[in-house]
Amino acid sequence: MRRHLPVADLARDERFATVTIEDRLGDPRARLAAANSDASPTRPGRARGRMDPNKPGTPDQARALMHGIFTGEIQALEGAGRTCFDYDVGRGADEVPYELKLDMARQCWDEARHCEISVKLGDWMGTEIGEYAETTFLFAAACNPDPVLRLTGVNRALEGLAIDVFNTMRELGEATDDPVLFFCEDWMLADEVTHVKMGSDWLRRITADDPDRRARALEFQHVVDRLFSGGGFRGDDEDSTVKLARRFREMAGFSAEEIDEVAEAARRSKDEMRARLAGA
Amino acid sequence: MAKIVVSPERFTLVFFDADRIAELAGAVADRIGLGEDTEVRIDVDERIPLGRVKIASLDPVTITVEGGAFEDAKKPRHMSDRSVLDVLGRILLRAKDRLDPSFSAAPADEKLSLAQSVAWTVYSEGRCERLGLPTQKARWRYHFRNRHGFSDVADAAFDRLWAGEVLTWAAIEAVCEETAKAREEFSP
Repeated sequence: MRRHLPVADLARDERFATVTIEDRLGDPRARLAAANSDASPTRPGRARGRMDPNKPGTPDQARALMHGIFTGEIQALEGAGRTCFDYDVGRGADEVPYELKLDMARQCWDEARHCEISVKLGDWMGTEIGEYAETTFLFAAACNPDPVLRLTGVNRALEGLAIDVFNTMRELGEATDDPVLFFCEDWMLADEVTHVKMGSDWLRRITADDPDRRARALEFQHVVDRLFSGGGFRGDDEDSTVKLARRFREMAGFSAEEIDEVAEAARRSKDEMRARLAGA
Repeated sequence: MAKIVVSPERFTLVFFDADRIAELAGAVADRIGLGEDTEVRIDVDERIPLGRVKIASLDPVTITVEGGAFEDAKKPRHMSDRSVLDVLGRILLRAKDRLDPSFSAAPADEKLSLAQSVAWTVYSEGRCERLGLPTQKARWRYHFRNRHGFSDVADAAFDRLWAGEVLTWAAIEAVCEETAKAREEFSP
């Protein structure tokens, strides 16, 4: 079986349609959307802004986000599965400890369960599989050939984002008295905390004697964090669709300083997006 | 067929076809029973990728549409016939209701509560389904539950609205009062 599968080779059936980040940023309406506080500059067609239960469009905003979570869970399963398979066991730069593979296998189990939960939540929210286009940014981060960079990008940046997303959706379920949404998000959130902690632990263990590699891994994490902050999609600001879940990030092993760095990256991403769109 | 006017005639930011929108709108107007002498204007703002749709006027019937409402969620910037039929079916039925004396007491759209607005939409969507227009029953049940409660009372009210063929504004208000009472009774 082939190792290091590129994004283009992900298997999807006819229900799914994929869009690239170039498609998003190449949309001429993105610049106009940037000036509209309700519209997402990188995801035209989708509402942006806080998940306010009193806004008419919030149920559809939640449906679209939940579909994004669903496709993210598929890619997270594919990414963790690839990490189990792509590397031999050993101490070399392109090898991993056997115990890391065990952790990734456990994560596959979690992600597969999350896929099933997400499908059922989609049914509950009236969303069809493949109703919205799929973006494959998550799996792209899982294509890094260095296992430490891959793990840091996926388990610390992206699973960290998952903590923020699940907490936001969990709070929406609480605010709308939706018992199913709250319960599902609460359980998935607990798993994400574990995944982030695994990423933090392996980063520290594997790079204990290699500060340069650790620095490269953290830089890769910051790049992914900025990309997924999506011009204000995730951040500390009140108008962010997804708020940084500081308490749960602390439980996952993030220091207060590291959480501040993510918040700062989100602010920079928002500013960069605005500047890019203003100059487009 | 009702007289349909779509603006703009040519789109530059999205791959929409004004003639196709007019053709679909005409078919919807016929199915819901708008008179042949009815003029329907559809103003699409292609700059806005969101999905808000409003009745701007009843004489002539004028619908303002943000471009995202007609867009294919799987293919950015491209039009979806299904979306056009779904959105126009819903909004033209509301316009038709507003032209009926039994809805004369209904507040203006911007004055409707979220519960009233969604209840009216569910009534429209149920009729759309029976007219053979595309609908998403589960999606609207979720909207309805968000505004009327996640309860058996709300679900039963949803089913009645969906099955409703000739309801009045008073009937929709009654549903809202019923679910509001149920929410009060069951709130902790």
